[in-house]
Amino acid sequence: MLEIEIDGQLVNAEPGEMVIAVTDREGISVPRFCYHKKLSISASCRMCLVDVEGAPKPQPACSTPVADGMKIHTQNDKAKASQKAVMEFLLINHPLDCPICDQGGECELQDVAVDYGSDVSRFSEGKRIIAPSDIGPLIQTDMTRCIHCTRCVRFGSEIAGIMEMGGTGRGEDLKIEPFLKEGITSELSGNMIDVCPVGALTSKPFRYELRSWQMNSINSIARHDLVGSNLYAQTYKGNVKRLASGDNDAVNETWISDRDRFSYEGLTHDNRLLAPQIKVAGQWKEVEWDVALDFAVKGLKNNILNSRNVQKLGGLASATATTEELHLLQKLLREMGCENLDYRLNIKDLDNAIHLQSNIKLADLEHIDQAIVIGSNIRLEQPMINHRLRKAQLAGAGITTLNVKEFDFNYKTNDIIVAPNEIANTLAGVLRVLVEKSAEEVPAYLLAVTPCAQAIDIASSLLNSDKTVLILGEHVVNNAQAASIANLITEIAKLSNSLTLNLTVTANALGAQRVNFVPNSTGMNVNEMLAAEMRAFVLLDVYPEYDFHHLDEALNTLLNNDVFVISLNGFKNDLVAQYSDVMLPMAAMYETSGTHVNINHEMQSFSAAVGAPGESKPAWKILKVLADLLELPGFHYENSTQVLSEVAHQMTPVHEYDTAINLDKSTVEVETIWTHSPYHTDALLRHATSLRASKIGQINTASINAATAKSLSLSDSDTYLGVPVDITETMADQCVFISSNQATNTGAL
Amino acid sequence: MNEVCFKNIDKDQCWSLTTYEASGGYSVWRKILKGEYTPEQIINELKTSGLRGRGGAGFPTGLKWSFMPRNAEGQKYIVCNSDEGEPGTCKDRDILRFNPHAVIEGMAIGSFVMDATVGYNYIRGEFIEPFDRFEGALKEAYETGLLGKNINGSEVSFDLYAHLGAGAYICGEETALLESIEGKKGQPRFKPPFPANVGLFGKPTTINNTESFASVPDIMAHGGQWFADLGVENSGGTKLFSVSGHVANPANFEVSMGMPFKDLLELAGGMRHGAKLKAVIPGGSSTPVLTAEVAMNMTMDYDGIDKAGSMLGAGSVIVMDDSTCMVEALTRLAHFYYDESCGQCTPCREGTGWLYRVLKRIMDGKGKAEDIDLLMGVQEKIMGNTICALGDAAAMPVESFLRNFRDEFEYYIEHGKSMVKG
Repeated sequence: MLEIEIDGQLVNAEPGEMVIAVTDREGISVPRFCYHKKLSISASCRMCLVDVEGAPKPQPACSTPVADGMKIHTQNDKAKASQKAVMEFLLINHPLDCPICDQGGECELQDVAVDYGSDVSRFSEGKRIIAPSDIGPLIQTDMTRCIHCTRCVRFGSEIAGIMEMGGTGRGEDLKIEPFLKEGITSELSGNMIDVCPVGALTSKPFRYELRSWQMNSINSIARHDLVGSNLYAQTYKGNVKRLASGDNDAVNETWISDRDRFSYEGLTHDNRLLAPQIKVAGQWKEVEWDVALDFAVKGLKNNILNSRNVQKLGGLASATATTEELHLLQKLLREMGCENLDYRLNIKDLDNAIHLQSNIKLADLEHIDQAIVIGSNIRLEQPMINHRLRKAQLAGAGITTLNVKEFDFNYKTNDIIVAPNEIANTLAGVLRVLVEKSAEEVPAYLLAVTPCAQAIDIASSLLNSDKTVLILGEHVVNNAQAASIANLITEIAKLSNSLTLNLTVTANALGAQRVNFVPNSTGMNVNEMLAAEMRAFVLLDVYPEYDFHHLDEALNTLLNNDVFVISLNGFKNDLVAQYSDVMLPMAAMYETSGTHVNINHEMQSFSAAVGAPGESKPAWKILKVLADLLELPGFHYENSTQVLSEVAHQMTPVHEYDTAINLDKSTVEVETIWTHSPYHTDALLRHATSLRASKIGQINTASINAATAKSLSLSDSDTYLGVPVDITETMADQCVFISSNQATNTGAL
Repeated sequence: MNEVCFKNIDKDQCWSLTTYEASGGYSVWRKILKGEYTPEQIINELKTSGLRGRGGAGFPTGLKWSFMPRNAEGQKYIVCNSDEGEPGTCKDRDILRFNPHAVIEGMAIGSFVMDATVGYNYIRGEFIEPFDRFEGALKEAYETGLLGKNINGSEVSFDLYAHLGAGAYICGEETALLESIEGKKGQPRFKPPFPANVGLFGKPTTINNTESFASVPDIMAHGGQWFADLGVENSGGTKLFSVSGHVANPANFEVSMGMPFKDLLELAGGMRHGAKLKAVIPGGSSTPVLTAEVAMNMTMDYDGIDKAGSMLGAGSVIVMDDSTCMVEALTRLAHFYYDESCGQCTPCREGTGWLYRVLKRIMDGKGKAEDIDLLMGVQEKIMGNTICALGDAAAMPVESFLRNFRDEFEYYIEHGKSMVKG
């Protein structure tokens, strides 16, 4: 610990710290533009110049390391003169178009100019103008306002891991612009808006909407993935107008993914379901809430309760629902004696479901030495988790991927490409090596396994590293050996002392697990329900063509005239309208209070940032009233916090599952892996127009290698299951990898 | 005259290895290869010699070499700065053309002192002939077994590469030069850390000017004291002065430090057409301009020029006669710095353009009375506030031109035309 003096005040500092870190900690204000605590030092704006005793020239606080006994003046004549000088230079070519600039009111240049600028400009020459450019649907540029701080450039190369933005030209001609015509495509690009201190990079969907001071800023949680990034929902007159990243070092540091940032646009989509509707004689009719709820209750009574066949009632929910909503739906069902409930709608075979715990904290991911990523395009599918892995890799960690396709990562990986039916075998090889090294007896199922070279490499990389993690991704969810793959990973983790991360579930799936939104042994799971003769369903936030793996069976069951279907949805959906008898409009993300359980098993609660539009209501309220009308006990809630209090201290129930490992290969000739492309994973995202228009939003490809394409008689101009074919040698043999922005075409799956 | 870097300049094929070796070239390097020198001996000789960095900053070379963590683990680099781009400077070009082996030997000696087994000579982009000469000399040195790995079984290794720049003045700034070698855009780095700790590719690196390196072999061959005695106190040795402008015989002259300016002017054939001396920029365009009177009483060494109110810089003497319009001269210089600013840091990116535009406006007859104060104000605000010295280099001439020739600027603003040219 060192002692330095700042403006006559003695303060402590760590060796190696920069002066600005100390002044920030001590609450001493030093103006700055290029400095950002999470980016490398640039020292180029010169705004933070301070007077260091003994130094002939003023020194930038951002790049001057502290030294014991150092005496610093941040406000004396010398420091102020330099700061004011830089301010004047920054303003001479700045357009000063604050009245028409979206950054007005939240502009660092504006704020600092109030303190350090002059009333009158001495600059009477012509100002620099930069022609407008279109860098994509998410970020609006107005580079005439750019002050060349290079935060966006450094964000790209250091955090996003792809240097799309750069400084071209020299001197006054220095321009901050994308190197490529396609503009900015990174999955984290929106953070450039947050780091830009001026109005050069602003949110395109938000353009010309509002002033920052007109909006309320409400802490909230993004629920599109397992991270639960902390953010601010900025609202005006009942609408979310913009989302900005929040700080939480344990979760998202200070970044959010574009998926989290721009999804709010879907909230005001024309497709929102705004009024309760009932189906009378095959015709939909908008009605008051009490009519709709009475209709729902009557339907349940007629079909289920009066005939005491509660075993013919089912409840299905999407994992995008809040923990409270899921809790209330399971309570409602179970209070009626119904044990048929499930959230695992996308699983082909629940006897072959993945059971794998996640036991590594997000922040610890960046400290691992070795990661094995199995079945995931983790960069696009889990951008914030990938960001942590990238940090680990840059710090020297080895990242091995075991995938059916060679994906484009933004750090160095060792890619092992195998067909889906080789994944289990490869992992079995890893396990065999580990078992032999551990001197344990080789279990019977491994006796016939001969580890391949890659398996030996993986095993030795795990044994030779200190902190290791095994990450299982969504591509194996419906692998013919999914359960065995998960069990193999559990065994490998035990023998190699590795932690595990299960990314095969997403959104609030851990919340669903916490409230036990799965049937016990007496109930039916989703696939069993869809195959049974049912009389009624309550569906929470379900969009069949995206959510069900067995779409045909689901529609078959739900469209049956004898089945009474109550649907709670935020968005209109044609299939929902076809099979439902009553549609209850529910509040979407940011419109309801609730809780999300993230990958750290943290319960992150949020309040409603805005009210629900039209007649729609938070689903917890709908479910509560429904329960009251059904005269079920224990639903006297006044707010969602009371709902949460019932589950907050509840442990996630542990279900028995089969730990057997079966290495019999699938005999399917060509395996197809269907995934929703990254910006189409839930209903809100599918209605977010700017995201959909972005490069990642446009992804809709069935990747096949040439040999497999030939065997299927496919060419580049064909489609496969309705998805355009991309013939690429990055694919393993005998499989198709689909990342689609269309509804699931399950015909051949 | 012509005792060190230019000692062979009158000989046939003076750049060849044969000529260089005939005058004792590579004798020091061969002794090093035989283990007859320790790094400490070399540093001590350099310190005795009083050799100061010839690129412009004048930092004692022996001291600089002693800062390198020679015993640090890992790769270390030695870099020669031949990116000579300051207006008025053309000495390194001639060293590369006429005595490339001295640069190679000097760098080799440095590499041994600092245990830097790899070196780069960064040569200005427009220097095609000097680049070819240097490459030719490198080839000769390699073929003769003077460079490479484990040279002649000596366990001493030194690989040297020439790197041609792309024409940016800023790459003469040592850290921008390192960025450029690394394949990045030439922009200065902030310091600390200094290159001696974090330099090329993040490794400890020493960077010296071409003339500094070329002086080292003779310093070692004849002893530091010999070199020191060639010059004056605090300015050891000889120095190349590039004399340009309104003189009869503009050229590079290698003379002893401390030579009176009037003698140097004489060497250059005196004023062209017998014109009257008006002003002298003694050390390259970034150093303050001096009036004739001050210049004629000045000696050409660090202290002498400092006392006169300017800097020795790279020894680039720009001589101006009384036909020179100082407003026009300053506008031309301001344009140079405006054009060459890398744009990275605010005061230089914005300030150099501002200075140029105000001067241009004065030249266009649209000057305002307050422009002189404005120019002084702007240069003051650039001075000392930038990452590298280019900002200061742009500011210094403005201050000195306005201080020494204010009447010409006032006349131009008032009358909309030049006091000198009408």
